[in-house]
Amino acid sequence: MGSEIWLGLFSGIAFGFVIQRVGATNADKMARAHLMMEGDIPKFMLMAVILSAIGLLGLETAGVANTRVLPTSLVATGVAGILFGIGWGFCGYCPGTTWAAAGEGRMDAVFALIGGLAGAAFFAHLHEFFIPLLYDPSNVGQITLADWTGSRPAAVVLLVFILGLCIGAIDFLWKEKNGGQTQ
Amino acid sequence: MDKKNISPLYWSWIPAAFALAGIIVFIFATFGPPASSSGFVSTIKGAVQTVAPEYVENMTHYAMMPDTGSWLFAFVLGMAIGGFAAGRTGRIPVRDIPEIWEKRFGNSRIKRFAATFAGGFIILFASRLAGGCTLGLFISGSTQLAVSGLYFGVLIFAVAMVTARLVYGRTGKEE
Repeated sequence: MGSEIWLGLFSGIAFGFVIQRVGATNADKMARAHLMMEGDIPKFMLMAVILSAIGLLGLETAGVANTRVLPTSLVATGVAGILFGIGWGFCGYCPGTTWAAAGEGRMDAVFALIGGLAGAAFFAHLHEFFIPLLYDPSNVGQITLADWTGSRPAAVVLLVFILGLCIGAIDFLWKEKNGGQTQ
Repeated sequence: MDKKNISPLYWSWIPAAFALAGIIVFIFATFGPPASSSGFVSTIKGAVQTVAPEYVENMTHYAMMPDTGSWLFAFVLGMAIGGFAAGRTGRIPVRDIPEIWEKRFGNSRIKRFAATFAGGFIILFASRLAGGCTLGLFISGSTQLAVSGLYFGVLIFAVAMVTARLVYGRTGKEE
């Protein structure tokens, strides 16, 4: 038990509070986001990434950032993305929101959490089978946008531009159906 | 609940994104990339090692993760506490079955709980295969400009949108 535990607990409480207040723990809102009826949650997620990327660039400049880039495995990351999308679209929860939604008192999230523990245990048991089969052969390493742009600030500009376009597209294509009470 | 009253209950997305980004940057400064699917592994490791320590020691996936005495577990536990605190201090209605699910599949709790158990199983299996979830891979990865995070993000959004259409059919359109 060190300061790490308290930092984790504090960070989690703040994180869980914010995602509940924006409606990300509400599987109804999540389904409506996926059905292109409400754009707030995807816009919130993309905007949070834009701001975090700018903030992280600041931390890196100050020399206090702790980063760890996950490798890209064309097959494993791809297959996982497809499976994850099926599960997310089906139940309306992602791993982080199950904890906050369970804490909020949503019983369906408690079952998503228990199912998640079972799914993680299942994968852990078969790690030695799946990682050499799906992950390692098409692992192209810890590639980032900065490998293409040449510098990290330029890559942040590119990321902000791409995600900004996505937010604009959501604003344009998602049909808000909340009785004209647009924000 | 009358759906016309939804918007005032929730924070609007821009200030909420500033709040979340502030927390994410704080985490990068004090710990590292935030993650939540890893917290599931830490939870299981902490539980299983009390009854079968040799199993946990011999499995690569548990060997590479800390147990419950870690930032990763404290974070997911904190998220549950944060969700509880936000729920108790706010006016957002808490339901066991989402409205849209009830319209499509009825009010059977068993059916909804079986569905979220299955959904939870799939998303955690997938997250552990990729090495992270919406937070640990898409948000953390993209913040670090990682191609893995952006690639995963495009796929999860696209596939979830198709899946939701298949699951809910015309239910959403009939409001």
